[in-house]
Formats: sequence, C-alpha cells, structure tokens
Amino acid sequence: MSFAWRFMRKEMRSSDVVTLLVALVISIGTVTAISLFIDRLRLSFEQESASLLAADRVVRSDQVIPPSWLQQAESLKLSVAERASFSTMIFAKNKLQLSQVSAVTNGYPLKGHFLVDSTLFGQGVKSNESPKPGFIWISSRLASLLGVTIGQTVEVGDKTLTVSKYLVLDPGASSSAFSISPRAIMNKADLAATNVIIPGSRVRYSLLVAGEANALSALQTWLAPKLTEGQRWITPKQRGERIGETINRAESFLLLAGTLAVVLSGVAMALASSRYVKRHLMQVAVLKTLGATPKALSRLFLLQLLFLFVIGALLGLAFGWIVQNMIAALLSSLVTTALPEPEFWKMWLGVATGLISLVTFCLPLMRRLIRISPLSVLQPSARVEQRSVILYLIGFAGMYGLMCLYTQGVMLPTVMMVAMAGIGLVVSLLGWVMFRFGRSVTSGATSGWQIGLAALYRRLVPNLFQLLVFTLIIMLGLVLVGIKTSLIADWQKQLPADAPNHYLFNVQANQIAPISQVARTLKITSSSWYPMVRGRITEVNGEQVSKLYPDDKPEPELFERAMNLTWADQVGEGNKVVAGDFSANGLSVEEKVAKEAGLKLGDKLTINIGGVFHTLPITSLRFVDWSSMRPNFYVIVPKSVLNDSPANYVSSYFVKPSQAQAFYQAMSQFPTVSILNVGDILRQIQSIIAQLSQAVQLVLVCILAAGGLVLLASVRSTLEERMEEGALLRVLGARGALVRQALIIEFACLGLFAGCIAAMGAEASLYGVQVYVFNAEPSWHPMLWLLGPSAGVLLITTVGVFASRTVLKVPPMHLLRGI
Amino acid sequence: MESQTAIEVAIEVKNLTHTVSSKTGDLTILKGIDLEIKEGESVAIVGASGSGKSTLLGLLAGLDINTEGDIALYGHSLTTLNEEKRALLRGQYVGFIFQSFHLLPSLDALENVMLPAELKGDKMARQKALQLLEKVGLSHRLTHYPRQLSGGEQQRVAIARAFASEPKILFADEPTGNLDEENGQVIIKLLFELNQSEGTTLVMVTHDNHLAAQCDRQLVMSSGRLQESTQNNCKDPLR
Repeated sequence: MSFAWRFMRKEMRSSDVVTLLVALVISIGTVTAISLFIDRLRLSFEQESASLLAADRVVRSDQVIPPSWLQQAESLKLSVAERASFSTMIFAKNKLQLSQVSAVTNGYPLKGHFLVDSTLFGQGVKSNESPKPGFIWISSRLASLLGVTIGQTVEVGDKTLTVSKYLVLDPGASSSAFSISPRAIMNKADLAATNVIIPGSRVRYSLLVAGEANALSALQTWLAPKLTEGQRWITPKQRGERIGETINRAESFLLLAGTLAVVLSGVAMALASSRYVKRHLMQVAVLKTLGATPKALSRLFLLQLLFLFVIGALLGLAFGWIVQNMIAALLSSLVTTALPEPEFWKMWLGVATGLISLVTFCLPLMRRLIRISPLSVLQPSARVEQRSVILYLIGFAGMYGLMCLYTQGVMLPTVMMVAMAGIGLVVSLLGWVMFRFGRSVTSGATSGWQIGLAALYRRLVPNLFQLLVFTLIIMLGLVLVGIKTSLIADWQKQLPADAPNHYLFNVQANQIAPISQVARTLKITSSSWYPMVRGRITEVNGEQVSKLYPDDKPEPELFERAMNLTWADQVGEGNKVVAGDFSANGLSVEEKVAKEAGLKLGDKLTINIGGVFHTLPITSLRFVDWSSMRPNFYVIVPKSVLNDSPANYVSSYFVKPSQAQAFYQAMSQFPTVSILNVGDILRQIQSIIAQLSQAVQLVLVCILAAGGLVLLASVRSTLEERMEEGALLRVLGARGALVRQALIIEFACLGLFAGCIAAMGAEASLYGVQVYVFNAEPSWHPMLWLLGPSAGVLLITTVGVFASRTVLKVPPMHLLRGI
Repeated sequence: MESQTAIEVAIEVKNLTHTVSSKTGDLTILKGIDLEIKEGESVAIVGASGSGKSTLLGLLAGLDINTEGDIALYGHSLTTLNEEKRALLRGQYVGFIFQSFHLLPSLDALENVMLPAELKGDKMARQKALQLLEKVGLSHRLTHYPRQLSGGEQQRVAIARAFASEPKILFADEPTGNLDEENGQVIIKLLFELNQSEGTTLVMVTHDNHLAAQCDRQLVMSSGRLQESTQNNCKDPLR
C-alpha cells in the first residue's frame, strides 16, 4: 500500500496525469455549473409556485367577470379578490414607457405575498397588502426607465398616482423571469379614472378565490357550465407543470451543449490514458517479473484512478460552483427576483459525469496495462494490443448513456448523435480534400510548407478529428457572435428607411382626427387607421375548437387565444391575395396560419366577437410581409360584421429621432393611447440576447478548454514520433528554424481549415435563422469569414506549438542515444 | 555444509516445446528441451540471435506459459499455474536483471531497490535496500532518479533490486549488453560476488563469451535445441 501511495504521488506530476485531471475538472465543472444554475432557477420558481396564483383557484377571462360570480363565491364563504392586467403607457414628466400594469382589489393577494422594497433594485421584503388607492408600486426597472423615485408621481391614462414602493415580485404575475415590459401594481379602485380600458382593449381579468376545498369545488361545479371560450378555471398545479416543463427543456438543452465539453474531455482523458498506458507498459511488465500479481496491479491502478477521481471531483465541483455563480450574475438583471442558493446534493450529476467518463474512457485502456505479458520485458512483440476503435466505442457508449441521463429520454441524444456523425462525415470529407490538396501542391522536404503540409496528411485520422473538434467549437462561437451582433442589425438594415417605428393603439374613434392633426403638424409619415376588435374562433365547420383540440393536443396559433381582427375595403400594403377573392363577403386569412390550422377556402369559421357569434366562410388567403412594420392581421372580416362591435383603432407612424421629443410631448395629451416604440423593443431584445449569449459563452469557454486539452493530449501522444522526426531533420542538416516553421505551418493550416469550414457552417446556420425565424432576406457576414479562420489559426497554432515545444529543443543526438 | 546428495533441483525442464502462431503459420521456437539446474549453480545460455534464448529464459522464469512439456521451480510446476499464481511464485523465488535495466523512472534508486521486497510485504525492505546499495557502491546515490544515473549505475541499482527479494533463482538477460567494457566488468564482478554470498542459482543469457566462461555450465542454444557446451567447466579462459 505504501508503494501504491508513493507511486501515485510521483505520478501526479506527469503530464498525462495532469491532462487527465484537468479534463476531469472541466467535465465535472461544466455539468455541475449547468445543473446547479438550473436548480437555482427551479428553486426560484418552486418558491414562487407556493404563491403561484396568489390564490387557491383563479378564474381567468378575456372579459369582465360578471358580479354574480363574485357574489356566488362570497356566499360560499370564500375570500375573493379581483385583478385586471393590461399593457399601457405610463408617463412621468416627459418620459413614457409601455408597461404591464395590474390593478388589484384590497385583499389581493389571497395567498403568498408581494416582495417590495424602498430602495432601487433591492432584494425586497414581504408585504401582504396591496397598494392603497392613489398609489402605485413600480418595478425598479420601470422606475429607472422613467427616472422617478418613491414619492414622485406618474400618470396612468388620465389618473395621476404616487409611487410608494418598488415592486420586486407580484405573486400572481404570469412569470417574473425574462419579461420584456416592466411591471406596475395599482389599486383597482383607481382603474376607471384612468380611462385606459376602452371597448376592444386587451385586458386579462382574474377572479381570485381562496378557502375550504369543499367550497372551492362547489364553486367550480357552479361555474363550469358558465365558462365560455377565453375563460378558464386554473389550479396551481396547472401553472406549476407548465413552468416545470419550460425549465426541464432549458436544462436538457444546456446539458446537451455541455455534453460537447464532456465528450471532448472524455477524448482528452482517453488520449492521456493511452499515453499513460504506453509509458507504463514496460514498467508493469517489470513489476510482474518482480512478482506483482495482476490483482495487486489492478488494485494499484484502481486506487490511483480513484484518488485522481476524488481530487478531480473536488476541483470540478468548486469550478462548477464558481461558473454557475457567474452565469447567475450575468443573468441577474433578467431575472427579477434574487435566485436562491442551489442545493448541494444536485452536484451528483457532475460527479456521475466524471465517474462515467473515467470508467468508459480510461478503464478499458487501464485493462490493457494490467494484461500486458511479463514476457514483453524480454520480447517487445509480446505486448497485448487492443483495438482503439473498440475503446473509443465504449467511451461514446458511455457518453450516449450520459446524454440519456441528462435529457431523461433517448430521442434527443439519438438525434444529436446522428447529427454529430453527419457533421463529422461532412467535415472529414472536406478536411480530407483540403489535406490532400495541401499535400499535392508541395513535395520534398526543403521548406517548412512541404514538411508541415506533409505532416497534416500523414497523421490524417487524428488530424481530421482535431479538425472536427475545432470546426465545431469555432462554429458555435461564430453563430453566437453572429446572432448577438448582426442578426437584428441585418434585419433592421433591410427595413425601408421610412418603415414605421411606432405603433399607436388603444385609440378611440374621436381621437383619430386630433392625433392625425399632430402628425400633420410635425410632418410625421403615418399609415392608415385600422379598426381593431378582439375575437376568438370557437368553431370550425360547425365543430367546436375545444373538441377538435382536447387538452393534450396543441392548438394551432389561430385558435390558441383571442386575436385582433380588423376590416378593410382593399388589400393593405405588404399584403397580397394568393387565393380567392378579397372583396367577397367572407373572411380573409393569412396563408401561413391557415396552413398550420389546416384551413382552406370555403371552410366556415365561427368567431366570438364581444359575445356575439358570427359564422363566415373563408373567401381569400393572403400573403403578409410581416417586415413591412405596418399593422397586420391574421384574419380580416367583412365591414358589416365589425360595424356593431365596439372597436378601437391602430396605426403605425415613422417618427424621426429629431421629431421624437416633440411627438411624445404632443401625445401626452392623449394619455389613454398606447405607443409602442419598436426601437425600444428591439433594444430590449438585443440586450436579452446579449446577456443570454454571455451565459452560453461561458459554456462555450468550457467546451473550448476541453478542445484545447484534446489538441494538447493528441500532440503529446505523437510527441516521441515528432521528436524523432525533429532530430532526424537536424541530423540531416536542417536548421532549427525549419523545424519550427514546419510545426507552425502544420498547426496554422489545421486552424485555417477549421476556421474556414466553421465560417461556412456558421453562415449556413445564420442563413437558416434569417430566412426561417426572421422571415428576412439572407445576407453575407464577411466578419465571420475573417473571424473564423483567424481565430482558428491563432488558437490551434498557440496550443499546438506549446504542446510540441520540446520538439524544438530536441538535439540531433537524440536519435543516436535513442532515449 | 550440506552433502552433495542433498542439493536440491532448482529448475527442472521436461520435454519443453514452445510454439507461437504468426500470420505465416505456427512457428516452433523451442523443441523438446530437457534440462536440470541444481541449486547454487550458475548457468550461461549462449547462442545466435533469434535462436530462442530469451524465450527459454522467459519460460523458465514463468513470464509466459509453454505449449508442451513441463517446467518446475523447486518442484512447483509452472505449467498448471495461472498468471496470478505464477506472479506469486516469481515474487517468492525469482529475481531479474535486464539488458536495458528497466528501472521505474518515477522512483529513485532506493525506492527501486525496495520495490520487490515491498511487493512481498517485507517490513525490513528499507534496511535491506540500503545494505544492498551499499554493497553495489551506490549509497551516495540513494535519492537519484534513473535518468540521473549512468548506464553502469543503473545496472548496479538493478542488481541490488534483483537481490532485494532474496531470490533463490536469478535470471539475467544480457546484463552487460548495454554497457561498456569497464562497466561490464564491474557488473560481472558484483553479480558473481553477490551470487556467491547469497547462494543464488543464476541463469544468464549472454553473447559475451568472457561472461559465459565464468559460469559453472554453458548451454548452447541452436535452432530451438539446447546442448551442453564442450567448454564445460573451463572457467575464465581469457584471464
């Protein structure tokens, strides 16, 4: 045993053991960081879900809740509260901001509590009371956007309210994380005076109830037949399940990305173990001749691996802890509540990852070491050779198992493995062509180019593998850079210079004339006014949507929720009829949503508009250019249908930066009108993307470190061969500079090829995102073609030359001594 | 002093044949070898390269298993033992000296010498190793690593290591093959002195006639067959 410890202590300093350890730390650390961060998100949601609904049950409705429902609930001795949520402009001095406002009755929340603070961006203290009439609580973000502090006033519609608290958490808000509009809470008693809710406004009304289970189910039974489309009875479980699903999906996705780091670390481990085994084969044979039994040797090496694992796990867990804290810090401004500390036991996934990597990538190689014949001390040919393909297959089987563990299923890992194999095949093919070409244009060994390019081709398989690894890493990096910096900018560039950048909605008929007057005075370009009503499709060809799509079947977008409808005499700008007749007395539906919902010309839809049901056939299908930035609608109904419905109006304006101040000033006389500044929204989306991509970048850095390690281990596994070559070149009269040049060229070319293929892949991915996600014209990204190859050359040359630096120092005597 | 008749047989080989399979078919390396080596004898096996000397040495030491016939060390048949048991037997009876020394590079001189005794679980490993290193004249090099030692020094450490487990039989494979004449002489001297003082049986493969001549018996290996040399008992003809 004492020998075992001594042996181990000495081995800890060797380069392959260090490589093994670092690989272990990276793989355990990456997975730990991801799983801990997700755990914090989950815990945060779980803490909220205790007060998720702010009540025991909620009835949610698109329309005002009938007073009789309240009376019924009260008669059942249930406590009752009401809430109305809507988007509106909040004004302060001369600033304005679109906000998500909730107006609540006294007594809200029935369950859970608010978190409020009196300092900006504070953690919040519990409060069970809602704002008093005349007061408003606004989120810290809204306060800083409007430039107001506690004690100052803001205007919501026609009503002036005093800010009394900074809102940290509203227990009944749909989700506190990743929301775009900042939030505010006011008392429902002030709602009428604001005049912001007009017929056709998009408002979500909630009736909150809490009390005995019997009373709750009695209310549910009483309400069930009264609930219409757009009204739902919600239990806390339903809410929790949906959020849980979202988090599970995020976890699977991040862990799969992290798998790349784990796989690469595994490969680095295998390479390092392979070199370790090679180095120790003779030693083990000698130990065997000295009487060491296979059992004792197994114990020795297992003990060594175990020791290594314990150190690696401790360091990896510490590393993971630090990284997850960094991710949480990066995303802190997106998540409105402070994330709770993660649970320690969640670290098991990282530990399991390390163990599985070690067992599948190192143990099979170690077995080879144990099985060496002692005779090989006398006869080197007696060594046991194992097929490395089988060894790597065992490793990849382990990785597949890990992925299944991460995603709790086999579908996603299988798809990912197949995709990786596909990418591997394409990259190998491209790489082979490039290496072959490089080899064919040079012959002889008089210049660094010839030697370097020949070396690339000679070690074809390991080099193709390196190429794949670095192509993937650089490509991921480039896609991230592309999305972060250019996608939105590209899209904006494609818009006409005078594309509308402000939407005006919630406009009443009598406000159209004065607002148009403002536009004329300020010389602002405007598009036409569209009447807008809310409606919901309830039946298709006489069949109820709720029957066509039961709870477990996802609804097409068209049927999912109430939507905005309009009427028009003629086809609007950016719209084109692709089938049917627009002027016929029927519905005109946007072609993509129609296709998704399986609708065709002649299908009859029943639409509930303000409680009145209209059944009409589809008489035309339209193509809509969504990037025209004009108000566009999925469904346009005949004027005759909308005439009786209470409507408000919507329009879009192009406001030059120089006109903005005057425009906002003038619009402040219409406080009930909501203005959506597209530029602001885009800036918000951009900042969210930037922060999310920073978090993903951290995972990418882990992947990069693992990739660097693979290169390092791979070069070191060919080090003896390289040293011999270097010495031979020197013996034959080559200068040291030639050897250096050849090495640099070998690695730089590998980097260049990887960078070019990666740029190709990234360009293709961005094309996909531009065309299919943004519906925009594809464009080239010259920056990627510059960044990819230069990053590749820099990265691989640095790591490669560093790993093979001993080759540069090897004296020609090396060959003669045969050390 | 024991009588002549009480001398034990250290190694007994009966009808030993060894065949290995290769891509071109089976190849018989050793053919029907019979051999008896008595305790305390020193035996040199000489022969051309590729004649099967090293294979024979490996089989005698239980490093590999023969295909036919039987080998017994002190009456323990090797043929029926698995690798685990053979390793235990080696630890108990056998010591080794190699042409290319084969010291463990990660251990220093003292640790290398202690190793076999430690593997046997000997509590006195350290003391024994110190004594042996003293004997081979390396007590000033205890903490040096193999790479810090010259070839001759490395082989002296290897000899000390070979004797550390107090083996009954010492196998040496070309012990001077990688050394210059002067260092070779030192090693030979040390080897025989220790062999004498410890009463070890020595089986040595060598090309060096001078070295072979110092042994009690010389066996010539030729085309897989073994014969007693005619120069038997003609010790040190050159001296």
